[in-house]
Amino acid sequence: MVAASVTGLAARRLTSGYTAAMVLLGVGVSLLPLMVSNYILTFVLQALMACALAGSWNLISGFTGYVSFGHAAFFGLGAYAAGIAIAKAAVPAPVAIASAAIVAGCAGLCLGYPALRLRGPYFAVGMLGVAEALRVGITVAEPVTGGGRGLVMPPQDVLLPAYFSMLALVVLIVAITRAVATRPVGLRLLAIREDEVAAEVTGIQTTRLKLVAFATSATLAGVAGGIYAWHMSYIDPTTVFAGSLTVRAIAMTMLGGQGTVFGPVIGSVVLSVIGEVTWARFPFLHNAVSGALIVVIVLFIPRGVTGVLQDRGVLPRSRTL
Amino acid sequence: MGTDLATAAQVVVSGLLLGGLYALLAGGLTLVFGVMRVINLAHGELLMLGAYVACLLFAATGLNPIVALLVSIPVLFVVGAVTQRFVVNRVVNAPLLTSLLLTYGLSLVVTGTAQAVWTNDYRSVPFITGGFALGEVSISRPRLLAFAVSLVLTGAAHVFLTRTRWGKAMRATAQNADVALACGIDIDRARMLAFGIASALAGAAGTLVSFLYSVYPEMGRAFMLKAFAVIVLGGLGSFPGALIGAMILGVVEAGAAYLSTTQIAEAVIYIMLLAMLLVRPHGLLGTAER
Repeated sequence: MVAASVTGLAARRLTSGYTAAMVLLGVGVSLLPLMVSNYILTFVLQALMACALAGSWNLISGFTGYVSFGHAAFFGLGAYAAGIAIAKAAVPAPVAIASAAIVAGCAGLCLGYPALRLRGPYFAVGMLGVAEALRVGITVAEPVTGGGRGLVMPPQDVLLPAYFSMLALVVLIVAITRAVATRPVGLRLLAIREDEVAAEVTGIQTTRLKLVAFATSATLAGVAGGIYAWHMSYIDPTTVFAGSLTVRAIAMTMLGGQGTVFGPVIGSVVLSVIGEVTWARFPFLHNAVSGALIVVIVLFIPRGVTGVLQDRGVLPRSRTL
Repeated sequence: MGTDLATAAQVVVSGLLLGGLYALLAGGLTLVFGVMRVINLAHGELLMLGAYVACLLFAATGLNPIVALLVSIPVLFVVGAVTQRFVVNRVVNAPLLTSLLLTYGLSLVVTGTAQAVWTNDYRSVPFITGGFALGEVSISRPRLLAFAVSLVLTGAAHVFLTRTRWGKAMRATAQNADVALACGIDIDRARMLAFGIASALAGAAGTLVSFLYSVYPEMGRAFMLKAFAVIVLGGLGSFPGALIGAMILGVVEAGAAYLSTTQIAEAVIYIMLLAMLLVRPHGLLGTAER
């Protein structure tokens, strides 16, 4: 049985209504500091960070189907680039965050160049190894990074600036994703996901395209790491290279819908709230819940919430969603 | 020069002893991949469960970990067979990434539950310790024991696969599931059996690991990556390849650990894995496929 799909004027109205709701969400989040306590602001900042990671993961993995199990590597590299710049050179925050972007982006290019020649599953597990190797590398490079004891920066109260920087990053990621999704380049990326050989045959330069998407994704994850380091004024390898960062990004994106514009946003809102509720009571079940969610989504709703709503005819099949 | 030679021999011997254990672990991973084209990212968690079986039994009754194998092997066999039947079997014909994400999710569920139930504390099984000297090379008793048991179990699995009816059914399923089905082989049962055996091997490896390393819920990740490196090295789906790959990996790890630190040795393995994937993704003994 095929549910009715929404077409024509109704579709356009729904699409703009949906987009308007998302814009409203953004405005609400940006006005939040006027209304709520620092505790809630910190929670929303964490959610924004998760959203940035999910959104940047979506750019490479959601669109091309090249699932990266090592996304935390770029977050960690960005955090360390910014952290070292702040701790050792006392640079202002914008410079530190720019260096996070540059380091993570270059790492994305250098790692992606060989790694993206690997076909899907090999790439996925290869990236898992890359993230582990980088974590070990940072831990071993003790004179520069502080090793396993972590890197301490002069403490400063930057909750509000960090909050707005992270929000700006999320908006930027959504804007980039939307630009990609509505242009031919988005179709080319999706073609790689559906059938890479066929995409190649139709003249798509798959390796170059994957590399650009991967480097962009890495840069954005690195910026998130940089803002995190700046906000926390303390980082250590186990926290910023944590596999759980990647896990949550994957679970959030899959829940919302891979390769969609707002999927990662929806997923991160839902999972962050669930996480906040369960975290305090069952600290270790956090990862188990993400894992169970991934299993359930893979088995029953591989296209995520957005896909389900589109199949049911609630949302139109527009690529701007 | 004598001492240099002795050092080299020491590194090789330690590496080979380690390699035996990796072979046992990687054998299951490669079997599952061969029979159902699934890279089981939860393989390390099965090892972790096997280690906890030994740990908990030892804590409760002081049971010898070698005897504990008699418990961990059947328990993990059932765990694996049930998981395959009810979860993994649903994605056998799906693209590789689907099963990769699924088993990744499963591994998180198992690790998270283990953390909730058994906490993050490090445990150990104080079993046999010490070693003896063979010429200038010293050999650790527990490692030698683990090596010997690993070889026996890997050998038994190999004999089962090549000599018995069900082993042949599994290999036929691996070669071509459709033709195997047409020949009257119950491929669903062959797959279930393969996953069960693979889990049992991982569980046995875990029980052996329990008296060599610390036991904690997240121990599986590093072992899973090493097992994956082994089968990439030896060729995905190749059982003899896994044995050779395991020995190479063991010696490389021991050598890197001797030259630098154990931490850097870990990083060397991951870099080797990536390099191998790039240069010869079908491994030393595997067949090329796109």
